[in-house]
Amino acid sequence: MRRLVLVAALAALLGGCQPSPPKPAPGSAARPKVALVMKSLANDFFATMAKGAREHQAAHAADYELLVLGIKNETDLAEQVNLVEQAVAQGAAAIVIAPADSKALVPALRRAQQQGVVIVNIDNRLDADAARAAGLSAAFVGPDNRDGARRVGLALAARLHPGDEVAIIEGVTTAFNGQQRRAGFEDAMQSAGMKVVAVQSGEWEMDKANGVAANLLTAHPGLKALLCANDNMAIGAAAAVAAAGKTGAVQVAGFDAIAAIRPLLADGRVAATADQHADQLAVFGIEQALATLRDGHPAGDRATAVDVVTR
Amino acid sequence: MLRTEHLTKRFGGVTALRDVSIDLRPGEIHALCGENGAGKSTLIKLLAGVHPHGSYAGRIEVDGREARFRSTRDSAAAGIAVIYQELDFVDPLTVADNLCLGAEPRRFGVFLDRAALRARAVAALERFGARIDPDAPMGSLGVGDRQLVEIAKALARDSRILILDEPTAALAGREVDVLLATLVELRARGLACVYISHRLEEVRRLADRVTVLRDGATVATLTRAEADERTLVRHMVGRELTDLYARAPAVPGPVRLAVEGLSVADASGAVRLADVSFELRAGEVLGIGGLMGAGRSELLMHLYGAFGRRRAGRVLLDGRPLPAGGPRAALAAGLALVTEDRRRYGLVLAESIGFNLSLSALAAVARAGFLQRAAEQARNRQWLESLRIKAAGLDAVVGGLSGGNQQKVVLGRALMTGPKVVMLDEPTRGIDVGAKLEVYALVQRLTDAGCAVLLVSSELPELVGLSDRILMLNAGRVGGSFARGAATPEALMRAALGAAA
Amino acid sequence: MRAPRGSDLWVLLAVWAGLVALFGAFGPGFLSAATFGSVANRIPALLLTATGMTLVMVTGGIDLSVGSVLGLCGAVVGVTMVDAGGGLAAALAASIAVGTALGAANGLVSVKLRLPSFIVTLGMLEIARGLAFLTTHSQTKYIGAAVEGLGTPLAGLVVSPAFLIALAGVAAGQGVLSLTVWGRHLVAVGANAEAAAIAGIDVDRPRIWAHALLGALTGVAAVCNCSRLGSADPNAGVGFELSVIAAVVVGGTSLAGGRGSVAKSFLGVLIVATLEAGLVQLGASEPVKRVVTGGVIVAAVLADTWRRRA
Repeated sequence: MRRLVLVAALAALLGGCQPSPPKPAPGSAARPKVALVMKSLANDFFATMAKGAREHQAAHAADYELLVLGIKNETDLAEQVNLVEQAVAQGAAAIVIAPADSKALVPALRRAQQQGVVIVNIDNRLDADAARAAGLSAAFVGPDNRDGARRVGLALAARLHPGDEVAIIEGVTTAFNGQQRRAGFEDAMQSAGMKVVAVQSGEWEMDKANGVAANLLTAHPGLKALLCANDNMAIGAAAAVAAAGKTGAVQVAGFDAIAAIRPLLADGRVAATADQHADQLAVFGIEQALATLRDGHPAGDRATAVDVVTR
Repeated sequence: MLRTEHLTKRFGGVTALRDVSIDLRPGEIHALCGENGAGKSTLIKLLAGVHPHGSYAGRIEVDGREARFRSTRDSAAAGIAVIYQELDFVDPLTVADNLCLGAEPRRFGVFLDRAALRARAVAALERFGARIDPDAPMGSLGVGDRQLVEIAKALARDSRILILDEPTAALAGREVDVLLATLVELRARGLACVYISHRLEEVRRLADRVTVLRDGATVATLTRAEADERTLVRHMVGRELTDLYARAPAVPGPVRLAVEGLSVADASGAVRLADVSFELRAGEVLGIGGLMGAGRSELLMHLYGAFGRRRAGRVLLDGRPLPAGGPRAALAAGLALVTEDRRRYGLVLAESIGFNLSLSALAAVARAGFLQRAAEQARNRQWLESLRIKAAGLDAVVGGLSGGNQQKVVLGRALMTGPKVVMLDEPTRGIDVGAKLEVYALVQRLTDAGCAVLLVSSELPELVGLSDRILMLNAGRVGGSFARGAATPEALMRAALGAAA
Repeated sequence: MRAPRGSDLWVLLAVWAGLVALFGAFGPGFLSAATFGSVANRIPALLLTATGMTLVMVTGGIDLSVGSVLGLCGAVVGVTMVDAGGGLAAALAASIAVGTALGAANGLVSVKLRLPSFIVTLGMLEIARGLAFLTTHSQTKYIGAAVEGLGTPLAGLVVSPAFLIALAGVAAGQGVLSLTVWGRHLVAVGANAEAAAIAGIDVDRPRIWAHALLGALTGVAAVCNCSRLGSADPNAGVGFELSVIAAVVVGGTSLAGGRGSVAKSFLGVLIVATLEAGLVQLGASEPVKRVVTGGVIVAAVLADTWRRRA
């Protein structure tokens, strides 16, 4: 309870320059400020996430203030660390974060937590060992990437025959969710009896994945499917398949279900993707954070739904 | 204290210094005089260790023992300090920092001992009563004070022999007085000083003895009593004019270039040319003489639209005002310039002869923006032959050519534009005698064809031999104007020095 | 500028041939029309921008904003075709217009205000990327078949129209550099601006136009990119500037200006792209690819300098 008061006082102090909330109930502190720290706001997935969070805040304007922060590109760790520190400086009572890296953000988050800020981890799970070593306790709200990828993989495998050659285009190799998706794809391929002939990184980018896919297609003429760890890379891969004249003969799978992938799902150039309900991801994280602030004790992890989308 | 015996220094085929012997006694100020290129700078560089022992013939003695400097550091260790015209300081640092640069007092081997540094600097400045704030940033000091700091730096290193290369060239009157007074005081304390200056009046005021150099050789060493102005000038110029430069006198045509009351300031606002007027006629060579910094190059660069801002006056080419718009407009109007510093302003060194020759006159060999290679080649070949450029071919890289051939390429580029007025800034500097003769022949050809030539040269015989008339500049003003017959070297030198004619 | 002769090109050609032979020996299926087709169809954007970058670098400038401008032009293509319902021609025109405007802005600011182009284009790198996100609301635009024509291999040929356009761009760029008065001026300005000014050359305009031309080519490159992917990604081209500069430098163009060849930049692009393709086909991991690519860039530049000295 003492922490809550302290946090609220801090928030009130630092939030002093903000327009004051409408008629706070007598005796109650100002609305807590929740900072949503994401990866690239230029990425469709996180843009959707931010939109969901803003809508939630609009509906619950009396309960909290929202601060949406995003970095320039997916791999700019230092910038995200800065954002965390900025959020603390701006008096955030809670930080809901989708870490760009599973380990590198741990020290910054621990410093924030030591200053009384509630940390909720969404989307990409912080490395358990690193967090434990640092003494950071953060509830995780997010999808089971590995299970989601496994199910996307199985949906794709339904269109293949056992023994077919497949390749995986993974994301940035250091990202935990990327590793999970790759592992999920591999689980599915193994259980369906497919042969994974190559794993290459497309670094989450459309253009990179396009180049990698084009080269994989020539190096492995018998390739039957490309499993991509996100939709941007799936679009790039699908273009490479089309350029090689193999549309239909080589299946493509993605992850995230961004808007731009829908036409490709519709005409079958992409067989399956996973919807992590990005808009709700942030909302659940915020609710978890608010619950922690209200109850004064940390809430537990919460798994969010991942749905396989095939059309 | 310091003695040179039979010093001879050659650069390739050029003898810069021939059998020079001078001696310097403690408590003496010994002046060195001579025209530009007489060998003063080379002598200094030998004494400073810039040209190491072994690269010259003869001996340098310090305190009666032969000194074999392998580097400037050896020379400094022997107590010789050279103070150049261009002083290298780290401007953002303070005077004290600069005084101790490279020999900073340290604490525990790593940390800068600021207190000791400042104390050392104050002591160095006080040794000759220089009133300079040791904490002022170096960049805020005027040229005179910078020179004093340099002298203080030399004294702080226990130098006993000061060599000053034209220290007053860039100083104003009051600063000159401070510097000269400082030198007199240092002389009283037993320091020896080699003093180089074009200003004969200073030399006479200051020097105990004067040595005159000409063409790399010692002409005379005079005592103060002997060294009157007339004698000095006679020794400096000395030689008889030979037929080498003789050019048939021109039959002057109509006025090509008319300059009326021209005053020009540089980018910082300092006046570099004041009230300069002259006329240049077709077929005529007008020589522009003067000492370094007199404004000769500035005059040519300004006419060409590449230097300074005009404060007053006008320039007419064939009776019409010269259009503004920089070198492009000047070239289009028929004015061409061959700059003094050909490597910097004249040539694209990494490119071929053909590239450089064509550069100003590409339009004539282009159709709709596309170069007609065959036409360009043919034209370049013609010029290569008529200028007698010695090279493997048009594709030879200009940077690899000799000075003379480089100069011919620059001349070719300028002349290819078909100019009415050609301005030549030191066209024979640093080129061999054969190439010089070809340049002279070219000047003759140009004037025969009705071109007007504006010639800047530091070599008086060349100036006298080639010019129909000569204008001497002194500190940006016309110091005197001489017709062909009246231009004796003595008279020219006096006009350049600002002495009464 | 002399046209690049065989002797100027052979070192790079040898490096490229060596790479092809090496990958051919180790990677079954590398020596195939499909491989060359996939390399050729991947590089049009790189070729076009490398051509413009060569001209800029010959004048002694550099443009760090190409990647971001590529992203922005792509975004413009996406918005034009998806949101405004325009056709490919309209998208191409819009993309070139935006690219040219930004390139000209780079040139004008750096030349007229006497700022290093390195700094000015560093600023533009951020500005253009921000604009790319703003125009698309940070969303990837799926364009589809309307744009794909340029990027699809031609029937009977393994290469796409985009590649042919890029080849034409390379040829035109080399022609401009070695056959025109303007090209001669670019070299003179880059090699010795002071001497060029004394020789009566306008030293500002060639530099401004070189930047603008690079912008225009980046606009074309963006369309090629979109057509290959069938979509416009506002994140496209992150780090692209380094690939372009690497290819141009491998091609022997001097960072100090005054020396460069579009034809050799073409070989530079080919070497970098072949390396990329070969390493993927050999199954090299991402870190290994980076190490090898970096090594080859330095080696190729060394080989070229060594030949020049010899």
